[in-house]
Amino acid sequence: MRFLWILLLLLIGLALLPYDRLPFASANGEYLANGLLPQVPVPFDNPQTDAKILLGRQLYFDGRLSSDGTISCASCHKPDKGWADTEPVSEGVAHKKGGRNSPSIIDEAYSVPQFWDGRAVHLEKQAVGPVQNPIEMDLTAEELEFRLNHIPGYVTEFQAVFGERPTIDLMAKAIASFERTVISNNTPYDQFLQGNRSAMSQAAMRGMHLFNGKGHCTACHSGPTFSDSNYHNLGIGYANGKYADVGRYGVTKDPKDMGAFKTPMLRNVAQTPPYLHDGSEATLMDVINLYDRGGIPNPNLDPAMTPLNLTAREKSDLEAFLVALSGPYPVYTAPPLPNPEITAQELSAMLKGGNR
Amino acid sequence: MRIMQYLLLLSLLIALAGSARAIPVFARKYGFQCTMCHTAFPRLNDFGLRYRQNGYQLPGRENEERTVLESPPPFAARLHGGYTSDNFSDTPDAVDVQQFEISGVDILSGGLLGRNIGYIFGYAPRIEGARGLADQPGTVDLANVIFSNIGDSPWLNLRVGRLEGAHTAFSVQRRLTFSPYEIYAFSFPGGIAFADTQTGLEASGHSRMDGWKYAAGWVNGSDTNNSDDGPADFYLRAEKAFGRGEGQTSGQRVGVTGYFGRARPAPELPGTDREDFTRFGVDASLNFKQLNVELEYLTARDAAALWDTADEVTYNGGFAQLNYFPTTNLVGFLRYDLVNAPDDVPIDTGDIRRWTLGGRYYLEDNLAVHLEYSHRTQEFIVGPEGTENFFTTRLDYAF
Repeated sequence: MRFLWILLLLLIGLALLPYDRLPFASANGEYLANGLLPQVPVPFDNPQTDAKILLGRQLYFDGRLSSDGTISCASCHKPDKGWADTEPVSEGVAHKKGGRNSPSIIDEAYSVPQFWDGRAVHLEKQAVGPVQNPIEMDLTAEELEFRLNHIPGYVTEFQAVFGERPTIDLMAKAIASFERTVISNNTPYDQFLQGNRSAMSQAAMRGMHLFNGKGHCTACHSGPTFSDSNYHNLGIGYANGKYADVGRYGVTKDPKDMGAFKTPMLRNVAQTPPYLHDGSEATLMDVINLYDRGGIPNPNLDPAMTPLNLTAREKSDLEAFLVALSGPYPVYTAPPLPNPEITAQELSAMLKGGNR
Repeated sequence: MRIMQYLLLLSLLIALAGSARAIPVFARKYGFQCTMCHTAFPRLNDFGLRYRQNGYQLPGRENEERTVLESPPPFAARLHGGYTSDNFSDTPDAVDVQQFEISGVDILSGGLLGRNIGYIFGYAPRIEGARGLADQPGTVDLANVIFSNIGDSPWLNLRVGRLEGAHTAFSVQRRLTFSPYEIYAFSFPGGIAFADTQTGLEASGHSRMDGWKYAAGWVNGSDTNNSDDGPADFYLRAEKAFGRGEGQTSGQRVGVTGYFGRARPAPELPGTDREDFTRFGVDASLNFKQLNVELEYLTARDAAALWDTADEVTYNGGFAQLNYFPTTNLVGFLRYDLVNAPDDVPIDTGDIRRWTLGGRYYLEDNLAVHLEYSHRTQEFIVGPEGTENFFTTRLDYAF
């Protein structure tokens, strides 16, 4: 009988102990799964220069890169909205809407490949996509190059930066260079990894433990960017036996990729709602609840997706950790654009008029 | 006074243990917390179960896996020790224990030899019993290679070597209690316990979508067989998970098992050959939020010669265990074991009942303070009922 009393007392005592465990992080910032961001990778054939970054910034904010002059990169990847959009899907020219959420470009410099379906291998390939997408910016490569070559200021700048007249590929290089300056690497999590143990709240630290354990998040959200750069099916958009969006399958035509999308990076995730490839989840807690349920059953559901059985407190802790992945990021405004008096409509008319 | 001393010592151990930061072999390889695969170590969660059945490869990431040669040294150990009190009354040959002791040591290794070729190795070194050291017969518990996803299908995986057979619905290697599952341990004299690891082959498979699984094994069987008898034991298992999950930590799982063995009586009787024995079991693992219930019912039918009786011998039993996981670092368990022992056998054994109550508090994922009390009764044909009161509190850790 006395053993029962001892057992009871000890269980009560243990239950009262604070739950305050740190994951496997050391003071020098080495973390086995999700570490500090390394230096920004820069391709050897597109080195960063101040002039090129400025040119890229101008192009990023220039609506004349769209058919009706209303849409620039910044229209969907808004600097003051975490370089993303607050709408599930963004509006393109003539208020057309696509099917996928605009991802943030913060730290996209680290992301390989690009787009939710990974159809572009790097930023230089990505930047030419939206310009030519009929529901986004709706220009052909020919139209784009015509426009850039009929804005004298751009011609001068391209000559100075690249030694060539504007082309769509050089435009992409300049925009990519600019996007490589949109970096956030001083989050509470980064500070924690560098030894500041008070940088994250207790809840966030518990959430970090869950992230890498019971939450199974690290199975896909791994590495410094919190993405394995791979494609996984969560069942988003699957209903009545059909996928609303085939995802990676559209690129590879491999049935295993049906309904799979690229693992998004999680840095600054708290600042970029809504979430998932279709923007269907409004808040971080909504996403956590989705994972807690084990995703949406479908024939191609990722085998790592299992229900998590998280308690309300665990969900809250996980959310706190995701918030701790968010920190200050640069918010660039539109710079003075070259020859602003030349409008998209004029450029379009010039092209139609045969003024080449 | 002794209790106070004990509590003080336990508090000191807990305080010291708080600084430990060790991770065993798979967690070390990936940099994951143990809770990625374990609800409460050593018990697997749904993800861990899929990892195991996928041949120690992350599900769906087989192409990205690193082999054992590309990973950190694949060795780990598990130790547990603390205070154990095991008191018996009216139980022949039982020896009371009341001491601090190291009660278990296991050396573990596991990993990938190649894509879709995994291995697991578990060795319990021989420890001669002494004051403060529980006797441990040296044995290789596990030493098998698993060929996974043969033909690029989850329906065919082949495990070869010394293995924990899938016929046991609930793993003895990874159970939460130190008290045994009585029905898994009960057998004819000298016979193999249902849950013993065995050497042989096991094919298994599962569907990707609808929760079906099967396993079929061919193993050496009982130690009472002669070395030239050849492997003659087979088992089959089918199970189905309902809802999302594998039935470990979410969803519901039911299973059926059949085991068909041949063994020689022990001691061997003149004129006897290998005799048949069979086991049939049904089981379920049910989950509701943070609660899990494990149910096992097993019925046995043994040839008369195995018990040295005139007639065929039957017995049955099972257990029901309730597990409660209120937080990531705390688990409580309550189990009732029952063996309806065979009648009219020359061995003086009657029905066995055991109640087990306890919990584990995890100071770290890989370091648990284990508390357990178990009360066991066994009827005897001659004499009063025997009782056992088992109490233990241990630090159980893996690194």
